[in-house]
Amino acid sequence: MTEFLKVEGITAGYGDGPAILDGAHMTVQQGKVHCIIGPNGAGKSTLLKVIAGMLPARKGEVIFKGENLKGLRPDQTLRRGIAFVPQERALFPKMTVRENLRMGGYILNDDVERDRRIDEIFDRFPILRERADQHAGTMSGGQQQTLAMARTLILRPEIVMFDEPSLGLAPKIVREMFAIVRMIAEQGVTVLLVEQNAVMGLKHADWGVVLDLGRTLFEGSAQEVLHDPRIQELYLGGRKVA
Amino acid sequence: MEQIIQVTILGIGLGGVFALMGSGLSLVFGVMRIVNLAHPSLIIAGAFTAYWGFRLWGIDPLVMLPVATVLLAAIGVLLYKVFFERNAKSATYSEMTVLLTFAIAMIIEGALGAMFSNTQRVTSPSYATDAFFIGNVFIPKGQLYAGLVSMLIIGLLAAFLKYSRLGYAIRATTQNRDAAALLGVNVNMVGLMSFAIGIGLAGAAGALTSFVFSFFPAKHWEWIAVLMSLVVMGGMGSIVGTVIASFGLSIIAAFVGAYVGSTWSTMTFFLALFLVLLFRPQGLFGEKPELL
Repeated sequence: MTEFLKVEGITAGYGDGPAILDGAHMTVQQGKVHCIIGPNGAGKSTLLKVIAGMLPARKGEVIFKGENLKGLRPDQTLRRGIAFVPQERALFPKMTVRENLRMGGYILNDDVERDRRIDEIFDRFPILRERADQHAGTMSGGQQQTLAMARTLILRPEIVMFDEPSLGLAPKIVREMFAIVRMIAEQGVTVLLVEQNAVMGLKHADWGVVLDLGRTLFEGSAQEVLHDPRIQELYLGGRKVA
Repeated sequence: MEQIIQVTILGIGLGGVFALMGSGLSLVFGVMRIVNLAHPSLIIAGAFTAYWGFRLWGIDPLVMLPVATVLLAAIGVLLYKVFFERNAKSATYSEMTVLLTFAIAMIIEGALGAMFSNTQRVTSPSYATDAFFIGNVFIPKGQLYAGLVSMLIIGLLAAFLKYSRLGYAIRATTQNRDAAALLGVNVNMVGLMSFAIGIGLAGAAGALTSFVFSFFPAKHWEWIAVLMSLVVMGGMGSIVGTVIASFGLSIIAAFVGAYVGSTWSTMTFFLALFLVLLFRPQGLFGEKPELL
């Protein structure tokens, strides 16, 4: 059987700059929540960008259901079922919630089907229905993040990737965001998320991947990673982090 | 009282045309961050299109308007492909476009001058010099038609941006280019289309201008400062802001012209630009303007 998503030996960087990722890999299991953790500058966001096709890998390969994604643009990976929510939410602040959701279904050629799916989203996230005609930029941080995550579901992706969904949100709201992540996974969607708050992220994940200095330090079930002594070392010193 | 109404009407007529001139400029800046100093020279090119249609074949400038729009949109596609597309990733793109479009403006001016000479022209359909009278107040037909057609075109543009698929893509790209690309919008195509639409609007504005103002190839220098003041005041990239600024300033300019002296009328726009830049550089309508 072909592996669902294979991420192997990824080396990547921006422009002519130094390699941010230097041979990173990760195991991805269909339908599970994967949390990528590591100190600042470890290359967590960069890894998601490479998978999404926003940044070309200098070396290594991303193979999704037997197809090498090398050279594909973000819209092409999206058509293959990989959706990405970058940091800072990526909403259109002066468009309404409904318009934002319509943009989420931009590549669908069937407006009726698109609006039907938006209606499903509204059923699952009643707060978005309530705010349907409000400008996205005027909502609270948590509501905006909910919208950004819900928007990916319009295309019924197989993989969704969230870059720090908890960024800048109050602890209570962060828990709500992770509840949404779990809910998405329960629909059979594979989730890859980057999290600064390692403990929080791992508690809500099935699988943990630890990056440091562009390499995969180790990976394992979220429980194992959470209790691994190397995590303490990585985050609390033992090695000087610049 | 009558005179006040009269001056207001003349101001509104002028405002309609300026609004159309400015909205193309706003659209191009909003989506592409191109500061298009060549916009007024392209308006003049549109005016010449209507002028020759009338002069040679007697075609009404309002009928020539779609022709000028399509012709200028095609020129827009060409300019975009040759000059703007390949540089779009440069970090100093906006700054660079100022110099680039300045050069394009001079080339267009030179070309029009070489072909058609620098004499003053005006398209003269019968309504250009006619007027409606309501009591003692007169409404020049030329300005009235130009203003109404401008409003119609801006209305169509607004509906297009609000409801069409490409309109969604254009607005999304304006607000968050990366996010739009992630959702499958071909942002380069959106850039090309909005540039073509913006320049097409210059063509339409030109056709209307051709019977409202007399024009000659170098006339665009007068307009660029006026249009910049409208666009800056409206909050760079906001079409609604530009339209409001156009009417507001044109009416004020009409009053200045009537009561202070016509030579001071153009000063209104420069003074407004000066004050806005000094006290409210983000424009009148907020920090992050939007196309609509």
